[in-house]
Amino acid sequence: MAEKTIEIEVLRYDPEKDAEPYFQTFTVPYVEHWVVLDALTYIKDEIDQSLTFRWSCHMAVCGSCGYNIDGEPHLGCKTFIRDFYPNKVRVEPLANFPIERDLVVVQDDFIEKFADIKPYIIRERHNTVDEGTYKQSRAELIKFKQYTMCINCLLCYSACPQYGLNPEFYGPASLSLAHRYNMDSRDEGREERMEVLAAEEGVWGCTFVGACSRACPKDVDPAGAIQQIKIAATSDWMKEKLMPWGKK
Amino acid sequence: MKHLLLKLEPIIWLLFGQGILLGTLLLTGWVLVVGVLAPLGITPLLSFSDAHELAATLIGRVVLAALIALPLWKGAHHLRHVFIDLGGADRDATVAPLLYLIALAGSVAGVLAVIRL
Repeated sequence: MAEKTIEIEVLRYDPEKDAEPYFQTFTVPYVEHWVVLDALTYIKDEIDQSLTFRWSCHMAVCGSCGYNIDGEPHLGCKTFIRDFYPNKVRVEPLANFPIERDLVVVQDDFIEKFADIKPYIIRERHNTVDEGTYKQSRAELIKFKQYTMCINCLLCYSACPQYGLNPEFYGPASLSLAHRYNMDSRDEGREERMEVLAAEEGVWGCTFVGACSRACPKDVDPAGAIQQIKIAATSDWMKEKLMPWGKK
Repeated sequence: MKHLLLKLEPIIWLLFGQGILLGTLLLTGWVLVVGVLAPLGITPLLSFSDAHELAATLIGRVVLAALIALPLWKGAHHLRHVFIDLGGADRDATVAPLLYLIALAGSVAGVLAVIRL
């Protein structure tokens, strides 16, 4: 019996050679347990070594293999080709980012925004080794734990129509990571971050589409984080206007 | 205008948020009871004078004013963002004030009507 195969249609683009991106179709063996990343690896190893894509862990932890698969942002290592068989699978780079080459996108904009929101614990004074670790209650941990699951895969940026329309917008992952540190009982950097967050390019740029939370492969809820930051920003605004003598 | 809109964003968002809460919870129940269940005789129908008396209490007036005004702000804010999502960000400085003025006018009219009950 002939071996079953499946077609993988990949967007190709080499800015040094191609005037514009184009689709190339590859036929690969159909293996039931293969994910899209396996199919891409087969193409690179057996058919066309020039195919360029990011990947690393193959277990939805590193966040490297985000692609637009059949028009929706997914991790290549978490999307089975059996869900498409016998139809072909179309693989494109993530939307809303410039293409570096083939499926690799330029992430510079995200990296800059990510640095702006200070995604680390800020304290005036850190405990010495002798003073020991910081203690945190379960309730304190629950406030931010889900946001620590973000793997910076950028699927949420690809899904977010606002980021596509307005590149100044800080976008879902940066905002939810900022919220993660704002909600951490060990952190004292909320005021610094709110300068960035409570701006038009910050949370007020979000138009409540919610596509980010739907796209997240780690079940983080960036849309929820953004709405919670809006509550915090509104609370700061009220305190500033109604109690100008008080502290935020 | 853009600067003013940004300055007012927290208060507009607060009205929007309360509008969602009331619009989805209370207003839906209100329409269900007053518009469907009561006319079908499933729930008791208040006479006009009883309904008027209930609405004219302080709590009745506050509830009615909130039910009229806040969903208008919810609608205005949502429409503004739908407009932005459809690529209208360039005209936001015109569209947003227009929508908020409609919400404001509706709110003022609603509150005045409630006061005159």
